[in-house]
Amino acid sequence: MADTHKQWLEKLEAESRAKQELFMNNIASKLRHPRMTEKPQHPFRGAPDFWKAFEWSEEERIKEFTDNFLSVGGHVARLQTMEDAKKFIADKAGEMGAKYIVRQNQPELADLGLEQQLPDSQVSVWNTDPGQYWRARAAEADFGIVIADHAVAYTGSVTVLSAENKGRSVSLLPTVLMIIIPLDRLKTRLGEVLSTFDEAGREHLPAGIHFISGPSRSSDIENDLTIGVHGPGIVYALLVG
Amino acid sequence: MSTAQKKEKTVKARADLALNDEFLRKAVRFTTERLRNGKKKATAEHGNWEEWRERGRQIRLHTIAHLDYYLNLFVNNARANGVHVHFANTAEEAVKLTLDIAEHANAKSVVKSKSMVSEELHLNHALETIGVEAVETDLGEYIIQLAGEMPSHIVIPAIHKNRYQIAELLSKEAGYTLPPDTTALAGFVRKKLREKFLDAEIGMTGCNFAIAETGSMVLFENEGNARMVSTVPKTQITLMGMERIIPSWSDLEVMATLLPRSATGQKLTMYMSGITGPRREKDADGPDEMHIIIIDNGRSLQLGDPEFQELLNCIRCGACLNACPVYRHIGGHAYGSTYSGPIGAVLTPSLNKNIAEWDDIANASSLCGACYEACPVKIPLHDMLVYLRRRKVESGHGNKLESIGMQGFATIMGNSSRLGGVLRLGKLGQKLVVRSGVIKTKLGPLKGWNTYRVTPSLPKESFREKWDTLDQELKAGLRQMDPSMKQRMEELVQKRERERKEGKGGHGHG
Repeated sequence: MADTHKQWLEKLEAESRAKQELFMNNIASKLRHPRMTEKPQHPFRGAPDFWKAFEWSEEERIKEFTDNFLSVGGHVARLQTMEDAKKFIADKAGEMGAKYIVRQNQPELADLGLEQQLPDSQVSVWNTDPGQYWRARAAEADFGIVIADHAVAYTGSVTVLSAENKGRSVSLLPTVLMIIIPLDRLKTRLGEVLSTFDEAGREHLPAGIHFISGPSRSSDIENDLTIGVHGPGIVYALLVG
Repeated sequence: MSTAQKKEKTVKARADLALNDEFLRKAVRFTTERLRNGKKKATAEHGNWEEWRERGRQIRLHTIAHLDYYLNLFVNNARANGVHVHFANTAEEAVKLTLDIAEHANAKSVVKSKSMVSEELHLNHALETIGVEAVETDLGEYIIQLAGEMPSHIVIPAIHKNRYQIAELLSKEAGYTLPPDTTALAGFVRKKLREKFLDAEIGMTGCNFAIAETGSMVLFENEGNARMVSTVPKTQITLMGMERIIPSWSDLEVMATLLPRSATGQKLTMYMSGITGPRREKDADGPDEMHIIIIDNGRSLQLGDPEFQELLNCIRCGACLNACPVYRHIGGHAYGSTYSGPIGAVLTPSLNKNIAEWDDIANASSLCGACYEACPVKIPLHDMLVYLRRRKVESGHGNKLESIGMQGFATIMGNSSRLGGVLRLGKLGQKLVVRSGVIKTKLGPLKGWNTYRVTPSLPKESFREKWDTLDQELKAGLRQMDPSMKQRMEELVQKRERERKEGKGGHGHG
């Protein structure tokens, strides 16, 4: 290869920028207007107004989230404290014989002290050793443990955001996924969570924003529901608070 | 991609194949029923569906009407996020770009999540030619890739395969016999593809929506394979139709409300992922390098076309397929192209700007409007099918027999003695084919009609022959009304007049 990878990418970018103008000009001319450079009025942005006013009480949010999550084959536990969450996870790990556990590198999870609680399991903390191939660590894990950044009752969904200390693989590759949801993060509508990304703006968005609404599933073989096709087949939502 | 289905040239021929395949017909009917009922239930449960549809339509209309602004904004933001953005006017250009990226990544294998655009480009074949293995990772797509076929449904691509056929295919791949049991088969695929995800240098995805204001791309899926291909490999390539844009994350709420409910009756797919650029410097997963290829491939032909621009509003949910009585009978393969069902019947000729070649798929519809009713963004597909048929005829690609027939009809109907002569000839001629008052022959010009019905024979005396008598009777009747009847009617009119003046109201209309 004569050119370095960087030079090749630069060449592609130059081509792309030149083509961008032609591409946009073509669209504008087909639409029969001059190139639009000003932000147009968008009177129909987002959900209808009646929907934006809709909100459930905390009790309703818990009930609806639980019903939705159960209906797609997920599991839900309603817990009072993080201490309860610790006990729940340790019990399940013992029950299922989880040997490899990977968790996000967050203080709330460190406080659970799972390492001491589960001396027979190997608990890895995401991205704490730069020499590790972390994707493989997550792929071999029996349990992945994460904390939800947001949750939505109406669709029964949990949102996890990626960061240096929060791997996308931790909620994706392990066989069993444990999601801790602090109750104050449980909202009614999807829009309540989505609008926070508009408010944050481009520069502040993480690379990965993932909404998870239950275990991985497919109905591709004879419409027969299969759970755990690629992602975790067993998913626990632990509502804490 | 070469398929057996493609060999048959017309929808009719391909549909005959489908109609003969009892299993396929049952499977398609069962699946479309399941999805259709799922949608009905989900939309009823959610409530105010018409208002959501209208909102979805407005957002799509607005974005497409200002596409140069929003697409440009998306591109600039995606670049600022560190994405390498490319433009492809044609399928060939998109393929060339992909191969170039694959070569520079020294790729031996590419793992792909479901993408209709990729089907449009026939990309797998192109990758093979440079020695790169392309692996479909969506369970259904993986199955049909092993079978060497095309998807038959946008949402459930292997709708036409039963589990015995699937077990046979997967057993061949495994090298040992797998039982025809869904869990066992899916378990094998999970294990097999895990290795592929971790091995592949490139992950390739489609794009359900692209958010202009933040340069993010959004994927909806249930299996987790789209997350896999966008998390594990070093390089990510996303193929994106140029019309996939929505302005903001707030608008995504509307799309996320419409798409899963319309596609499968779900409140939300198991995964909805918003990806904003490659992995951040300190992240330990996500792609190092991310490419988005923005593809025209015939889409801009719809822009500014008052009859077809709304096609670009399509969010690829497949609800029109499930609602279509024709699709439910003949299945996706009969359409002979990437996109099937009502949307395919309009989209394929439009994208290919080749009305002649694809003309007959516009006829694979009964124009009943069920597709419009089902469409979550209210695309008037049934109207478009009519426009397409009209354009086909205008451009001289109409049915030759039909044109000759119409010309003949005009010649005969334009002259009464000619018509009389032809009818007399018909009456003579039909003696050869009439059996107990009807014509059942499947030979000659009546073949198409008589395949499923019978033609009534011509009556002994035609309407035109009866006309003179009818005419005289009518004229006489009007001229000389029976005097007693005339008197009765006059009295009735006078009575009604009196009642009206007295304010009683005549016919009960108050």
